[in-house]
Amino acid sequence: MPPSQLKQLKASLRESGVIGQQQSKKQKQQNARTGAAAQNRIQRNAALQAIRDRFNPFEIKATSTRTKFDVTTRDGKAGPASGHARPGVTKSLGEERRRQTLLREMEKKNKVGGVVDRRFGEDDPTVTPEERAAERYARESQRKARKESMFNLEEDEEEFQLTHKGQSLLDVEQDDFQEGDLGEMDDMSDSETARKRKRFLEDDGEVDDMEGLADEEIVEPERKKSKHEVMKEVIAKSKFHKFERQKAKEDDDDIREELDKGLPDLFDMLRGVKPPTKPEPPKNDLTAMNPDRAALLDGTADMDAEKEYDQRLKQLTFDQRSKPTDRTKTEEEKAEEEAERLKNLEEERLRRMRGEEISEDEEESEAEEGSEMSEDESIPDDAMEFGLQQSSGQMDTRPELGVEDEDDFIIDDDLVETRSDVSLSLGESDEEESAAEESEEEEEEEEDELINGLTMPGNMTGEALGVADEQQTDEALAFTYPCPKDHEEFLQTVKDVPVQDLPVVIQRIRALHNHRLHPDNKMKLSRFAGILVQHVAYMAEQPEHPPFAILENILRHVHSLAKSHPESVAQAFRAHLREVSADRPLNLRPSDLVILTGIATLFPTSDHFHAVSTPAHLCLARYLGQGSVDTLADFATGAYVASLVLQYQARSKRFMPEFMNYVLNALCNLCPEEPKSSLGLFPARDPQEPLRLNVSKSLSVRKLQFWDVAGTDSSPKAQEELKLALINTFISLLNTSSDMWADSSAFFEIFAPAQNVLHYVKKSFKGKKAPAAVQDTLQSTLDKLDGHISKALLARRPLLLHGHRPLAIKQAIPKFEDSFNPDKHYDPNRERAEANRLKAEYKRERKGAMRELRKDANFIARENLREKKERDAEYEKKYKRLVADVQNEEGREANAYEKVKKMRQGKW
Amino acid sequence: MPAATVSKKRKNVKETGVSSSKRRVVAEENNGADVMADIVQLEEQIAESRKHYNNIAKLISMLNVDNGASDPNLAVAVSLCRVFSRLIAGGDLTETNGAAENEKLIAAWLKERCREYQKALSAILREGDASAQLTALTLCMRLVNERATHMPHEDTQVWLSGIFKNIIEAVVQAPEAEALRTEFLEKFAKQYEDVQYYTFLQIAEIAESTTAPKTLDTLITILSAIDSAPSQDHEYKTFYVKNSKKNKKLTSINSHKKRAQDAWLSVLRNPSITQSQRKTLLRIMVHNIEPWFSRPELLMDFLTDSYNVGGATSLLALSGLFYLIQEKNLDYPQFYRKLYSLLDASLLHSKHRSRFFRLMNTFLASTHLPSSLIASFIKRLARLALSAPPTAIVAIVPFIYNLLRNHPTCTFMLHREVRDAEFKALLDAEGMNDPYDWDEPDPTRTNAIESSLWEIQSLQHHYHPNVAAIARIISEQFTKLFYNLEDFLDYTYQGMVQAELGTEPKPMKRIPVIEYHIPKRIFTDRMLEEDGGVDTAPGSLVRGLWDFA
Repeated sequence: MPPSQLKQLKASLRESGVIGQQQSKKQKQQNARTGAAAQNRIQRNAALQAIRDRFNPFEIKATSTRTKFDVTTRDGKAGPASGHARPGVTKSLGEERRRQTLLREMEKKNKVGGVVDRRFGEDDPTVTPEERAAERYARESQRKARKESMFNLEEDEEEFQLTHKGQSLLDVEQDDFQEGDLGEMDDMSDSETARKRKRFLEDDGEVDDMEGLADEEIVEPERKKSKHEVMKEVIAKSKFHKFERQKAKEDDDDIREELDKGLPDLFDMLRGVKPPTKPEPPKNDLTAMNPDRAALLDGTADMDAEKEYDQRLKQLTFDQRSKPTDRTKTEEEKAEEEAERLKNLEEERLRRMRGEEISEDEEESEAEEGSEMSEDESIPDDAMEFGLQQSSGQMDTRPELGVEDEDDFIIDDDLVETRSDVSLSLGESDEEESAAEESEEEEEEEEDELINGLTMPGNMTGEALGVADEQQTDEALAFTYPCPKDHEEFLQTVKDVPVQDLPVVIQRIRALHNHRLHPDNKMKLSRFAGILVQHVAYMAEQPEHPPFAILENILRHVHSLAKSHPESVAQAFRAHLREVSADRPLNLRPSDLVILTGIATLFPTSDHFHAVSTPAHLCLARYLGQGSVDTLADFATGAYVASLVLQYQARSKRFMPEFMNYVLNALCNLCPEEPKSSLGLFPARDPQEPLRLNVSKSLSVRKLQFWDVAGTDSSPKAQEELKLALINTFISLLNTSSDMWADSSAFFEIFAPAQNVLHYVKKSFKGKKAPAAVQDTLQSTLDKLDGHISKALLARRPLLLHGHRPLAIKQAIPKFEDSFNPDKHYDPNRERAEANRLKAEYKRERKGAMRELRKDANFIARENLREKKERDAEYEKKYKRLVADVQNEEGREANAYEKVKKMRQGKW
Repeated sequence: MPAATVSKKRKNVKETGVSSSKRRVVAEENNGADVMADIVQLEEQIAESRKHYNNIAKLISMLNVDNGASDPNLAVAVSLCRVFSRLIAGGDLTETNGAAENEKLIAAWLKERCREYQKALSAILREGDASAQLTALTLCMRLVNERATHMPHEDTQVWLSGIFKNIIEAVVQAPEAEALRTEFLEKFAKQYEDVQYYTFLQIAEIAESTTAPKTLDTLITILSAIDSAPSQDHEYKTFYVKNSKKNKKLTSINSHKKRAQDAWLSVLRNPSITQSQRKTLLRIMVHNIEPWFSRPELLMDFLTDSYNVGGATSLLALSGLFYLIQEKNLDYPQFYRKLYSLLDASLLHSKHRSRFFRLMNTFLASTHLPSSLIASFIKRLARLALSAPPTAIVAIVPFIYNLLRNHPTCTFMLHREVRDAEFKALLDAEGMNDPYDWDEPDPTRTNAIESSLWEIQSLQHHYHPNVAAIARIISEQFTKLFYNLEDFLDYTYQGMVQAELGTEPKPMKRIPVIEYHIPKRIFTDRMLEEDGGVDTAPGSLVRGLWDFA
């Protein structure tokens, strides 16, 4: 059982030394003398206050709920300490704060004007007076040191110059040291400080004189200056300062100019190139050895020498260590490097062919697309994940930078080089930039191969064009052509140019608008590339068939342009494909065929996905699958498209069902006799009127002409020959395709119909005198097919596609937290957790704000009441005073009256 | 009868109001107002007294239809119609038993004239130009109305054999009478349910007798244009003739349906029906025809016949047949065998492809079907996919996936480990022939389950990246429950190209790769000697086969 309250109190009083032995009188006196008594009293009071607090049960508030067992409670961790709030303390704190803020406001309410103290740290209890003073001083000096003061007539620089005996300390220093030493000593890289210093140095003499004058005046008898004189003096002074500033500015300009002059040398040195030896003045030789000595020798302490020295020194500090330059490579090394590069490019291509996406940025963008898509469409679509709904090409490949090519042109970059070596731009010093530029140059070197024919006409151009008479026509052509903005304009430009010279014109346009000549040229050329694509299509449509050498040359121009402007060229091709698929997907024109051929060479058709070649594939397949088969020209177009398909797939060897269908159907339709039953699963499409071959001895096998697709020659013999040529071509296409798809596991299923058809064709040729060439192709193809088929059957095994490791069964084990804290929220859904957190915070804040407001209101009410009470009390007081006054007076009067009365009575 | 006269007067007032405008139009067309005036006068005289009944004969002669009705006098026709309407309404055409001899005589005479007038009108209907036809149609229908209203005993006779029959025949058989047909359908057949009812009746009669495919075409269009079948609680209210309401037949749904069913049946049973008509009928079967049938099993013959035709017709007949199988318990022997035989080379290229896939999805949905049958379907589809357009492949592969998912036994077609040593040795020595028998018509005996889906594996190297990606799903783990087939149907080349190219140029997300190697030659033999005269550069294939000059 604890001791009683009284006992506890006594014990604690004794402990703190409030009660104890009585002090002797002597001690008391001594204490009083030393001032220890006062100290003691303070201590005693503090101790008493502490005891009082401890023993006042109302100061401390216990928690409303008693503590539960440690294990079960959520917030038991704080223990007894947290359970003891001190409402009195917090209340008084809040009260105090309100008194400082709210009360102020209340007092200021409905009052206008007044003085606001904006001095730093005023009314800020967190700042000690010392800090306040220091900060104020710092601010003051900062404000003074600001640059504007230069144009401020009121303030003088002398104001914050330190002086000694009325003389500037700087001047004193100057006297003590050599001027040159001073300049040498402080390492001033900043031009501004250099300027300041210089000003001091230059103006020295004059200022001294002036000051001397002023001094004298001051020394003279202390006649008080008239106001007029004072004003004059002030004006003179300001004028003088103005002049001084102007001079300083001019000097700055001079220095800057001088520095600029020296800059090229500096850059030369930075780049490790030896500066051109300049004829130096002889005295510089002296300074170069040793500036101090030179100065001694010179005796005049030449400023220039000093400066020169400084400059050199600085240059040396900035100078790069000389680096070993790249060793000139041997031929083998170059070849090796080239081979390596080609290998890399090829690997890249294979990677794209397999449709792998490795680089990170691609993945990112893929993810972006994914999110975009999911935003677009809330309904899940199974087909979507295979890209079936996508509206534009996405699984694109990444840009390729290595735009080089070994080609048959010798490049002489100097001929188109327009930059003068003298003009040095600042940017060039930048290390990275120059590197970038170098690579760009490299790139351009390769690209220029087609342009440079122009700049050295006699040399390689003739060969480049493959046009023999280029030399002669060269003279007739203009040398400058505008870069066309659209195809019509280009047509206008080349209206009078013979077709043969078109490549020259294109070359000139490209050379004239080389992007090094003007920044806009890049855009112009990219537009031009698109126009060239249009022009190729346009030319192929012309009734007088342009020579393919020209088309080829333009396409190669386009290719070369495409390396620097891939996007615009790709867009041009896509636009053409779009037009084809919108207008004539089932009746391809010669121009479309030329464009599709161009695509085969310009773009990597082996890519798994490519923004141009994938739609081109679709165009080809669509034609083969659905195109019309009514005329021989149709079949010729089909044969060309089929050849293109094989060329597209030469590398990647992907399968195209439409190709097989078309070729087999065409063979069935062209061969001399109609097959009686279906020869395979390909859908039969028959022309409106039969186009069967009429075999005769006189027919000779020819190679197919490209213009057969236009269907020009209609004589019966030519027709029959065309049919024969078509049959021959289709058979050899089958031959090639069987090689291409030999690895397919369904080879037998794919080529069994082909075998049937070929057997049938062979049978239908039998007995007729078909040309031996066709028979040979047929037989060799059949042999090859047989070989491939037997090999394919031999290699075929049952499929083993699902050797996957079995998937783990989904588990529903709860996720345990090792250090679970019930106060924390473990919501796996981030968004929800975030929302909950916000909600909780909002609630807390709201409660806090409400509490504060309530307390504020209480405070205001209390204050108002207090004020009212005060007012009332004052009034009461006043009233009482007045009453007292009146009573007083009345009393006096009454007394006086009494007196008088008594007196009267006394008299009487 | 005062009531009758009052009504007559009212009608007169109305009619003059109407005819005044008509008259004006006609007067302008015919030269001079005198003819017009004549007509009006004659008409008024008839109305005034019986003495002038001979004017009717005069007016009929003025109709100008005796030799060819190409240019009839419409004003006369209109006024005659008014005259007869008035007479019919006045009961002048009916022979009452107790009437005098001369009265009877007059009535007979009037009847004779009326018949003449009707004949003239139907001649106009058949031969006149479009506007004349329309007018004649309106007049005829008005007569029908008058007769049916005021001659109670003639009520059904008018519809069945009289003037209405003529109308229908004219409407059906008149050449180049599109306007007339649409007018009839819009104004009468679709609006008034009694007209509809009797139209069905007449059409059934015509369809039974006719053999001309053109007439059949018209009949089909008329029938399919008439409203869809009424719901069970439909109430018949809108009648052209007022007292049709009392007719029980006309107000019952069943009798309506019966009529429609008869009409359709007679069309369907017509032996001279052409293939294209059959296809049209099959196409509208589910939505337009079947609802009319209270006994859909009557369609069975038609559907099974169509199903046996083969090709696209069979495809179209499938859905109707399936409806019967499902709802009416139709027992179609060897349904799956037939379905299996429908999977032929042309199926995947036909435009009914997606329709067929939807149906097949339903037919093969049952998990109780034998695995061998499912395997046959899978294998056959896979074989077809090898020569199919990409739009079909994207539907086939998910379909196969779903089937495999539902019938795990069939996954042997994807993964078969050879454990038999003997068989293994055989395989190593001779390779593998496909055990699947393409020519076996019975899907349970094709041995497909022993085979493997090499075809789909080959399609994993399809030229189109998306198709290849879809084909790849069969070699990945089957984690997805099923693919929603609907998402994969209905793709077209155009749509696929558009998906790649978009409709207008827009900036590309990634810069397309350019071939790093500028070829020495594209079309010509440029600088061939440098390569030793042998063209091995890319594109040599095309250059080898084609001559560019």
